[in-house]
Amino acid sequence: MTQSIRNFVKTLLSERGKSVEFSDTDALFTSGLLDSMAATELMLHLESDHGVDLADADFDISRLDTIEDLSGFLSQSA
Amino acid sequence: MSSVELPNGTGTFSLSPIQWRKAWLSIDENEKAISFVTSRVGSFAVCFGVILALALSFQLSLAGLALVSVSLVAMVALPAHRLIILSGASLFYFALRPFRIDGWSQLLRSKAEVISILPHPLVLQFGAVGLVLVLSLGFLMWQKRFSNTTAAKRPVLTLCLLWIGLLLLSMLTTSGSFLNALMWSVVGVSISSFWILAYSATDAKGKDNTSSITRAVFLRPFWGGSAAPIGKSYGYLNRFAAKTDDELAVTRLKALKLAVWALLLAVVLKTVTYLAYDLMGLTQLQTAIVAHADGAGFSTSLNWASLIINYFIDLLIISVWGHFIVSIVRMSGYRIPRNTVNPLASRTLAEFWNRYFFYFKELLVDFFFYPAFTRFFKKNLKMRIAFATFCAAGLGNFLYHFMRETYVFAEGDLIDNLAIFQSAAFYSLALAIGLIVSQWRGKKVKPEDGFLNYHVWPRLNVIAFFCFLKIFDDISGEGSLTERASFAVGLFGV
Repeated sequence: MTQSIRNFVKTLLSERGKSVEFSDTDALFTSGLLDSMAATELMLHLESDHGVDLADADFDISRLDTIEDLSGFLSQSA
Repeated sequence: MSSVELPNGTGTFSLSPIQWRKAWLSIDENEKAISFVTSRVGSFAVCFGVILALALSFQLSLAGLALVSVSLVAMVALPAHRLIILSGASLFYFALRPFRIDGWSQLLRSKAEVISILPHPLVLQFGAVGLVLVLSLGFLMWQKRFSNTTAAKRPVLTLCLLWIGLLLLSMLTTSGSFLNALMWSVVGVSISSFWILAYSATDAKGKDNTSSITRAVFLRPFWGGSAAPIGKSYGYLNRFAAKTDDELAVTRLKALKLAVWALLLAVVLKTVTYLAYDLMGLTQLQTAIVAHADGAGFSTSLNWASLIINYFIDLLIISVWGHFIVSIVRMSGYRIPRNTVNPLASRTLAEFWNRYFFYFKELLVDFFFYPAFTRFFKKNLKMRIAFATFCAAGLGNFLYHFMRETYVFAEGDLIDNLAIFQSAAFYSLALAIGLIVSQWRGKKVKPEDGFLNYHVWPRLNVIAFFCFLKIFDDISGEGSLTERASFAVGLFGV
């Protein structure tokens, strides 16, 4: 699951001409590394490939900021 | 890691400006420089460098420069007490400069003047600041205590509704009364720190465990800025906090680099302004629009020149302003992203927003785009993106400016005052439509499309769109929407 997310983020970075080297704790969105359009692509990926519902009132966008956050979020939603 | 023991990297002294530039740009990667800045002397040297750049740029008032200087020096001298110094300086700044725009300060003074029991307008100001602090702390504590309620889970919507309620109640109070003066002052102080409180409340929903008191104290950081907070909230800053001496040194070197860059841009700004307005006799865009509306407009070529120069001067102003704020934040130990990053490089309208005013874009995306995107039109991707973009660039953008300027409703006719916002409404709508169309097209140009198609045309399109949009970027009410539209078509001889 984590690897699939990591690969997806790598694709997002590479499409934007950015280095695909990042650690699991690097901030992807709050640091400006990826923009809001990339965030929407990631959200669509989470919904379609991992079946999560982001409309939940408890959802907080900062929970998608690092690979570690994303993994934690997905395991919690599973 | 680049080795720049001497600028030419060979151990010999070089006079080549290119080598010096290279050495300067990689100074935050230079081990010797980092090691020097971890020392007491080195950290003070960097601190004084940032303060000197700020002073030479004349971007701050003397009082503002004094507060920033004392706070930064204190943080360098007493690194273990950084949070206390930051909080103290921010509280002091909040009490003395609670408003982000002059309209609110003038309103407070005019309201205070007619209240005979007030010995000085500052009493009203301090009272309003105190009340806003208590109300904000109360909100954050309530949110924590009742975290399972819908209102606590949707803190930004709750805050918006509470604030609008406060505004309406203020409008209902009798003009000239103490209650009226106090309520309007509270409305003004609270809108100046509204979005930072919204960020703090959103942080509280997530994994951030900062105490409610720290969040509430941090409503108006001492580095100032607009109502769109650069550095968002204490929770956001904490994610970028330097954790080791080396990280702190690198962060401070980055602060120095940015401050020096901001100083250079400030010099360019002064020069361009002098050349354009004083030497060449061009008029400010707003002056040209008002003159056109009064039937005493300038020539078409002069109007074109005003429009184009206004765009570039605006970019310089926001860059200098944002760079200095970010450099102060970095000097305080938080390596936050820059506010403006080479906006002229943007190939799409959305990219421009990201590069032009990052923290305002973030505000709109965090509070309007994401909530709409996650909830509405989930079966139709085009509509989903369009609606979320409209909520951010259209609705959110307008609401932000409307709320910030609501001091106009303290006096005069409601309908007349509403008319002031017609240009801002059009600006927000046009921006939203532009962004929606840009995202729908979704065409990503590639280097293989050729130099013109990759480097030139997309950038010119972005510049042209925002250049024209600036005609409608007004909240003063001077020059109606029709008059501004007439100016725009007049540029084409219509």
